[in-house]
Amino acid sequence: MKEFLKVKNINLSFDSKEILKGLNLIIDEGNFVAITGASGSGKTSLLRVICGLESPSQGEIILDNSLLFSREISVPTEKRNIGLVIQEKVLFPHLSAIQNIEFGISSKKDKQNLSGEIMERLNITQLAEMYPHELSGGESQRVALARSVVMRPKLLMLDEPFTGLDKDLKQKIYPEIKSILRASKITALMVTHDLNEVKALADKCFNLESGQLTEL
Amino acid sequence: MITSVFLIPILFIISSVFLGFSDNFYHLYENLLLEYSLNSIYLVAGVSLLVTILGVSTAWLVTFFNFYGKRFFQWALILPLAVPPYLLAYVFTEFFDFSGTANNILRDLFTTQSDVIFFPNIRTIIGAIIVFGFTLYPYVYMVSRVAFMNIPASVIEASSLLGKNSISTFFSLSIPLIRPAIIAGVALVAMETLADFGAVQHFAIPTFTTGIFRTWTGLYDLNTALQLSTMLLLVIFIFLSVERASRSKIRYVNSVTTSNSYKPIQLMRFKSAAAFFVCFIPVFIGFFLPVLELINWSSQVDTLVSTKIFLAASNTLYISLSAAVLTCFIALLINFVVRTFGISQLLNDLLSLGYAVPGLILAVGITKMFTSVDAWLINYGTFITGSILGLILAYIIKSYAISNIVLNSALNSIPIALDESAQTLGASKLKLLRDIHIPILKTGLLTAFLLVIAELIKELPATLILRPFNFDTLSVSVYLLASEERMFEAAFPGLVIIFFGLIPIYFLNKLILSNNK
Repeated sequence: MKEFLKVKNINLSFDSKEILKGLNLIIDEGNFVAITGASGSGKTSLLRVICGLESPSQGEIILDNSLLFSREISVPTEKRNIGLVIQEKVLFPHLSAIQNIEFGISSKKDKQNLSGEIMERLNITQLAEMYPHELSGGESQRVALARSVVMRPKLLMLDEPFTGLDKDLKQKIYPEIKSILRASKITALMVTHDLNEVKALADKCFNLESGQLTEL
Repeated sequence: MITSVFLIPILFIISSVFLGFSDNFYHLYENLLLEYSLNSIYLVAGVSLLVTILGVSTAWLVTFFNFYGKRFFQWALILPLAVPPYLLAYVFTEFFDFSGTANNILRDLFTTQSDVIFFPNIRTIIGAIIVFGFTLYPYVYMVSRVAFMNIPASVIEASSLLGKNSISTFFSLSIPLIRPAIIAGVALVAMETLADFGAVQHFAIPTFTTGIFRTWTGLYDLNTALQLSTMLLLVIFIFLSVERASRSKIRYVNSVTTSNSYKPIQLMRFKSAAAFFVCFIPVFIGFFLPVLELINWSSQVDTLVSTKIFLAASNTLYISLSAAVLTCFIALLINFVVRTFGISQLLNDLLSLGYAVPGLILAVGITKMFTSVDAWLINYGTFITGSILGLILAYIIKSYAISNIVLNSALNSIPIALDESAQTLGASKLKLLRDIHIPILKTGLLTAFLLVIAELIKELPATLILRPFNFDTLSVSVYLLASEERMFEAAFPGLVIIFFGLIPIYFLNKLILSNNK
C-alpha cells in the first residue's frame, strides 16, 4: 500500500520543554491509525503539527506526495486539506447544523448534494436546522465529524473525539465512522486513551512516550 | 501605520520641550505656573476626597445592607456619569445664582426680601470640587461595588464572629481589602478632573487646561501651549500608571476570592432612612437636579429646536457616527490581527493610551501634526488643517480604548478552537473574520458602537478646537450659549447630551449585575 502520510524527524518544544523529539510516523493510504499515550505526552501537539496549527523546529511532513512542512516551506493550515475533529465543542454557535456542515464547501451545488449525503449517512438529517446549543454531546460530535468528512480531506484527524459520550452511543458511532471513512477512502489518525476505541477503529496503534512513537 | 498616526500627535507635544522656551513660557513660569499647579492640586485633592466618601459609602450600603430604595439606588447611583461636569457647572451657576432657583425657593419659603442671598458664590474652587465630585463619584462607586461583592461572605462572617460590628468591619477589613479598587477609581477621577476644560473654564479657575487654551488662543504661542501640555501629560501618565498598577492588584485579589453569597443586613426605620438619604443626595445632586433644572429651562424657551440646534444635532450625529464606525472597525481589525497573527497585546495597550490624553492636549498635538503635513501638502495645492479629518482623528484616538475593551473581551470569549476549526476547514483569514468572528461579535460590536457614540457626543475641548469653521456640535453649542449666559437656550441640547450619556449607564449596570450573579 502507498505511504500516504510521512512525518519525519519532527522536533517540537514549548518554552525549552521538548515535546516531540525526532518523531517519525508513516501511515498508509486508507489506514486508520491510533495513537495512545499518557496525558501531556504530546499526542494533541503531534496532530496540531501535522495540520499546521503548530510549527515544529525541524523535520518534514509529506502528505500524498506533497510537501507540507520543511525548513523552507510551511503550507498554511487552510490549504493542507486535513480535517480535525476534537473533543471540545467547536461547532460555530451562530450557524445551524447544516450551515456548520456546509461552511467549508465553496460551490453552491456541492453544498446541497454533499451535506445532504453525509447527513444521511451519519443519520443526522433531523438535526439540520438545529443550532449547536440545542444539540446533545453525541449529536454535536456527529455534526462536527460530518463537517470535516464532507470536505473530503486527504487526512482526517480525530483528537479524543468520543470523550464524554456514553458507552452505548460510542458502540453505535464506531461502526458508522469506520464505514464512512472506508467508503470515502479517507486516511485517519486518531488520538485516544481508550483502548476499546483503538480495538474498534484502528488498523494500527502507536504509543507516544518521551516524544517518540513505538508501535504496539 | 495606525500606531504611528495614534502616537505622532503625542510625540509632537513631547518634542516641544526640545525646541527651546519662549518669553511667554518664562512669563508663565514666573507668574502663573504656581497658580495653575496649586489650583490643580487643590482640585484633584478635594475631588478625590469627595468621590472617595461618596463612592465608597454608597457602594458599601447597597452591597451589605437592605434598605428602602436599595434596588433603585443600585443602578441609579451610576446615573451622574451621564452628566458631563461642564453641564452640572452651568446648572449650578444658574441654580445658586442671586436670582436662581435655589435662592428664589428659600426666599419664598422664608418670605424674606428679594435681596437676601442664601447661597455663596458657586464659581470657586470649592464649587468646582462639588461639581466634579458629584459627576465623577460613580467611577469609585462602580469599582468599589464590584470589589465589595468579591469579598467572600466567610471573611465578613469571620469578622462578626470575632465581635466586630458592621462599621468596625467596614474600616478594619472591607476598606483595606478593596483599597486597590478605590485607588484605581480615584486615579481615573483625578485624570478626568485634570483633563477637564469646560467646567473650570466656566468657573474661571486657572488650571493647566485653561492655561493651555489661553496661551494658544490668547498669546498665539502654540509651542508654549505644547510645553504646558507636556507637563500636564506627565502628571496624567503618573495617575494612569497608578490606575493600572492598582487594577492589576484588583485582579489578584479577585482571583483568590470566591463569589460573595453574603446576606445583606436589613436596616430598620432610622437606619434605613439614613441609608436612603446617603444614597439619594449624590443621585439627586449629580443627576436629577441638573435634569430637572434643564427641563425647567427648556420649558421657558419658545422654540425648543432652532435651526442652529437642529444643525448642531445633525453635525453631532454625523461626526459621532462616522468616528464610531471607524473606531469600531479599526478596533475589530487590530484585535483580529493581534489574535490571528499572534501579535503582542502591547500594540492594543499603546493604541489605548489615547483615552488618557486630555481632549485639549490631543487637539493641540493634532493641529501641530496637521500643520506639519500641510507644509508638505501645500505643494499640491491642498491642506488638511481645519478640516473634519482632525476632529475624526481626535475622536478615534480618544475612544479607541472603549471599543477595544468591549471587542477584546468579546473576542476573547470566542474559543480559539473555533478559529482553528475554520482553518482546518479551509477558511481564509478574511472568511474567518467575515463569517465567524463578525456574526458572533454582533452584540459586542453594537455595544462598542453605542458606548463610543455616547462618549463622543459629550466631548467638548477637542471638538471646540478642531471643528471646521461654522461646524457646531451639541456640546459646542451648549458651551457657546453658556459662555454667553444664554442658559435657557443651552438647556435642550444639554438634555440631549445627557440622554445619550444614559446609554453607557445601561451597559455598565448590566455589567455590574452580571458580576453580582
